[in-house]
Amino acid sequence: MTRITRPWRRRHVLAGMAGALSAGLASAGRAAPSGQPVRVGSTLSLTGPLAQTGIVHKIAGEIAVELINSRNGLLGRPVEWVLLDDQSKPEVTRSLYEKLITVDKVELITGPYATAPILSAMGVAQRYQKLFLQSSMGIPKHLTYEMAFPATPFGPEPNKSYPKVVLDAMAGTPTPPKSIAILTSKFPSAQFMAEGTRDVAKERGLNVALYLEYEFGTRDFGAIAARVKDANADFLWLGALGLDSNLLLEAMKKLDYTPKRHFHLYPAPGPLALSPDGDLALSSTFLEPAPPFTDRADVPQLAAMYKERATKANVPYAELDAQGAGMYSQWQLLEQAVNGAKSLDDKVLAQWLKKNGADTVFGKQRFDGAFNHGEPGQMVRQVQNKKWVVVWPTQFAPPGVKLIAP
Amino acid sequence: MTAQRTISGAGVAAGVGLLALLPLAGLPAFYDSFLYMIFYWISLATSWAILSGFAGYFSFGHAAFFGAGMYTTATLSTKFGVPFLVTLPAAAAVAAALAFGIGAVVFRLKRLRGELFALLTLAVSFVVATIILNTAIDGGAGVLTSSVSVPRLMPTPSGTIYLLGLIMCVGTLAITYAIAHSRLGLGLFAIHDDEDVAEVKGIPTFRYKLIAFAVSAAIAGAVGGVHAIYVGFLTVSETFGISVPLYVVLMSVLGGARHWLGPAVGAAIIAASLYAFTSGEQAMIGRGIVAFILVVAILILPEGIVPSLRRWWQRRQSRRAAPPAMADAPGIATVTAPREAGATVANLHPPTRVVLEVGDVHKAFGGLHALRGVTLDIREGEILGLVGPNGSGKTTLINVITGHFPLTSGSIRLDGMEIGNLAAHEIAARGVARTYQIPRPFTHLTVLDNVALAAAFGAADLGRAASLVEARRWLDFTGLRAKENVLPADLNLHERKFLELARALAARPRLLLLDEVLSGLNPAEIDRAIGMIREIRAQGTTIVFVEHLMRAVVELCDRIAVLNEGALFALGEAGAVMRDPRVVSIYLGKAHAA
Amino acid sequence: MPSMTLLGQSLVSGVLLGGLYGLVALGLSLSWGLLRLVNLAHFALAFLGAYLVYHLGTVWHVPPWWAVLLIAPLFFVFGVLQHAVFLYFRVTELTSLLATFGISVIIESALQWIWTADFRRFETHYASTSLKVGPIYVPVIELLACIAAAALAWVTWAWLRWTYVGKALRAAAEDPEIAVAFGINRRGLAFVLSGVCAAYAGVAGAFIALISTLAPSQIWTWLGVVFAVVIIGRLGNPLGALAAGVLIGAAESVAMATFSPAWAPVVSFSVLIVLLLWQPDWL
Repeated sequence: MTRITRPWRRRHVLAGMAGALSAGLASAGRAAPSGQPVRVGSTLSLTGPLAQTGIVHKIAGEIAVELINSRNGLLGRPVEWVLLDDQSKPEVTRSLYEKLITVDKVELITGPYATAPILSAMGVAQRYQKLFLQSSMGIPKHLTYEMAFPATPFGPEPNKSYPKVVLDAMAGTPTPPKSIAILTSKFPSAQFMAEGTRDVAKERGLNVALYLEYEFGTRDFGAIAARVKDANADFLWLGALGLDSNLLLEAMKKLDYTPKRHFHLYPAPGPLALSPDGDLALSSTFLEPAPPFTDRADVPQLAAMYKERATKANVPYAELDAQGAGMYSQWQLLEQAVNGAKSLDDKVLAQWLKKNGADTVFGKQRFDGAFNHGEPGQMVRQVQNKKWVVVWPTQFAPPGVKLIAP
Repeated sequence: MTAQRTISGAGVAAGVGLLALLPLAGLPAFYDSFLYMIFYWISLATSWAILSGFAGYFSFGHAAFFGAGMYTTATLSTKFGVPFLVTLPAAAAVAAALAFGIGAVVFRLKRLRGELFALLTLAVSFVVATIILNTAIDGGAGVLTSSVSVPRLMPTPSGTIYLLGLIMCVGTLAITYAIAHSRLGLGLFAIHDDEDVAEVKGIPTFRYKLIAFAVSAAIAGAVGGVHAIYVGFLTVSETFGISVPLYVVLMSVLGGARHWLGPAVGAAIIAASLYAFTSGEQAMIGRGIVAFILVVAILILPEGIVPSLRRWWQRRQSRRAAPPAMADAPGIATVTAPREAGATVANLHPPTRVVLEVGDVHKAFGGLHALRGVTLDIREGEILGLVGPNGSGKTTLINVITGHFPLTSGSIRLDGMEIGNLAAHEIAARGVARTYQIPRPFTHLTVLDNVALAAAFGAADLGRAASLVEARRWLDFTGLRAKENVLPADLNLHERKFLELARALAARPRLLLLDEVLSGLNPAEIDRAIGMIREIRAQGTTIVFVEHLMRAVVELCDRIAVLNEGALFALGEAGAVMRDPRVVSIYLGKAHAA
Repeated sequence: MPSMTLLGQSLVSGVLLGGLYGLVALGLSLSWGLLRLVNLAHFALAFLGAYLVYHLGTVWHVPPWWAVLLIAPLFFVFGVLQHAVFLYFRVTELTSLLATFGISVIIESALQWIWTADFRRFETHYASTSLKVGPIYVPVIELLACIAAAALAWVTWAWLRWTYVGKALRAAAEDPEIAVAFGINRRGLAFVLSGVCAAYAGVAGAFIALISTLAPSQIWTWLGVVFAVVIIGRLGNPLGALAAGVLIGAAESVAMATFSPAWAPVVSFSVLIVLLLWQPDWL
């Protein structure tokens, strides 16, 4: 119907997989992994409403597999990633993890993306006593399985720890905000954080001028924008998912209102960074592909490969961010646990992780706290010149970069 | 026949038993899960079809009942510690109560059919979802059910879920099969085709719709209860999203929504296709391919898979059996009116007893007064001609007597009992039957079922087998026996007229209201119809005969009532009334005016 | 108590949003009411239009109105072809649901294939400009969408009401047999109408591209509310679709401004349920 043609990215993906299998990236001096591949299974939402994140995780995961195979694989054997599409449906996720474990007989599994699919998959992992790694579960208290580990450092109570980080960042500016407007999607992980932010804000004596929850999937923000404008707080905290941020900012601009400072919890990073309204927007992150993070092992290589592949795959915002890094970290945990414990036994691996922690792109992670979580590492980033940069805590900001607070 | 049924019944039972043991066979657990998902969709789609497929009340809010069940189980088991299996009947009950409440209001309003019903159910599901989202039931945080302890019905948890899914599925199919082959099912099919006629033929449409809605919702609720455990984590957006209401419709359409097995076949195909392309490399193309196959399938089999296959099979069978079937057709001329054994013939002595008393009946539609105080007695065993110019209120009077329209004021007594305020089906049950001037057969039912339905629901109140016997007798009487298996659309006009008659007669009415049965017939057919009406009267049925054809009126009627502008204008012995100059003048006057 | 400005502002936003609902609903209402085909693919087609406008705008810098002029005839042809297939296979009201669902999924897969599942935003400088009327801001793009909806609805209404073709279409929808008896060429008319509906999807798509953010799975998020709009507005009634869109949009928006936004659907759909039960004459 349409005459739009482009290099079909499928071909690249296939080539990528072939590359992974033949371990073509094995660098000289290191033994290429050999023998029967270790099959690691997982699902991602490659179609359906969560698919925009699926592609991010897929690219990052494929890079991770290639890099592991370019080193020593797992116990000297190459890694094969058995990736299935859970169609963004938790019930399909569950059955596909059962398929991975009982039919495909993968040796290890790794987790999917988003709260509901993660919890569905975790149930399966628990029944089969498999090590379960995930990177995007924002409500740690639901991770009740003793062999479930977070690859992203949310900390055991992000609803208490992270609001402090955000409000500290605000308090550190020349004109700290006196009032806050909190707006959140009724999406479990966003609402969880919004309630925490409200509590911490009240504790600190901020005036909560507005606290509003809106339905997940709200299309029109006209009326909500009018209320935000009406409240006119010094700081707007938005528990946004995906599209919400852009839509709300535009709706406010149409009312000739620009919030003084605005924070977005889990926005679609690309559209927000590139939007004219997104300038100076704040958001949560764990890592950005810039110093000091690029001093960590693997980060420069990961960032470069990610950018190249995401561009090829026609993804509009091709920079690595915490999403893709989380997926990569999942594989790092796996690699370090297997090669460290010299075992593929799930219980042994879990014990090893619990005892030793791991060095990931997010830094040193420990799993000795509640729900196997360690120290929280959630930071604040800001759109500056249409790019995301970490601005708080200041030691993670690139040289010369500061939080800009109008 | 019975032996055959026993054998097939035993076969089904053995099959189900084997299926129940499948988790013990040591297959990988994925198959438990995969089959559970198929059972789940079969149960949901089939439950939807009980109301929406059978009765044609298209619901776009099935998620409301499914979700109500899901959250009932989740709430009871996580917050109140109720054992999981106990929550399932509760889930069914909550969903059924919700449907019952909606139905009790909505089904009273005749306007809320078709797309308005779809809209209403859609709106209800939005409202239910929003309430759950904003109250303590969910509150937006989701409900984690993975820690709920499930009794070990099978050695593995996935086996247990499989077994629960199988029980739901078999139970749903058994209930649906039973409904499809019961009076309720026949009634629902009739409601699908023409609800007003169904009511007049004696079907308690309100009650039937309500039962069907509640059963449909109860199943969806119980299925939701099991599914709450299967997914492990509930969110409102996932539960009340578009997929349940949309998929149950699509599955039913694909398989054939009016057949008890249709939605199950559609559900199995679509649910299995979700798993056809799950590999990461083909997901997107796979979805496209599955969709393309669906499009092609529905284009080729527009009635749905099961009805299409059945029709193909029937055509094959009938091609084989064609010659004997033709020879079996009864000669029309030789058939006489069937009589009930022991039925008394009461027409020979002068009729005196009054069957129906119409007392000062008024009927107004807004400002339009269609009947303005009609008083009329109808005597047992007579044929009363009801004549008058167009718009004089004849058909309205029939509609009022049969309960199709409520009275504005006045009274109607049948055998001394007031029936003016009864529902149409209750009046039908008391022995009043009618025909429609323009035939209104149930278009998706065969000629035989059209007539058998009247026998089953009318005054005759027969069981299934007896109603078929009765129906065939009246098909013989009206000469339609050879066409008993065709659909009404394949009949010509005069056959449809006779079908109307056969339907009315099969109800074994005490009082038969014939609304212009002769219009559109040729002279030979008219003579035959007149003969039939005489025979019907000969077995004791009282007849009100609305007709424009004066020859027939004079030939048949004992007395004639003339209506003009909604009021009784003249009443008396046939010959005398027709000679009344005033009667002649209103006909002529009308003719002048026209 | 919300201020009058807030109330007025939310009412304006709601009415304008309702215009967009009406615009999306228009083609669906016409094909459901007059062709007895429930065209689920209308949403997918609108998003295909939106992606094309996005692509033409961002890659080749074609302004959206030129893009619409390009897309509308293309979609008209698509509508005609689709109807040819449906006619050949005698698709009914019920089966059209499944057939057009399939077409939607095929289009969704194609969108994801070409533009990936990631969010796309068509940034234009006029996307967030507004007119100021007293204390109230009227966003220009939404206003244009609403005007386009009103214009198309009115033109369609006039077409159906006053021209021979339109009358014939309505007659054919009410009673196909009689229409055939009067020598009305239903088939030819149906092709035209199907094409027009598809072209309207293209127009709606252009405004979706300008107002909203695009992702392939967004196709399904419009389904519920637009279905409600189509039915409240009475099938096949273009002005009704517009009025119903405005009604729902305004109810939702005012509810969001005065109660909690999360409760808004209860308010607007409770109004709807009450209306249905109360049955005023105009419904």
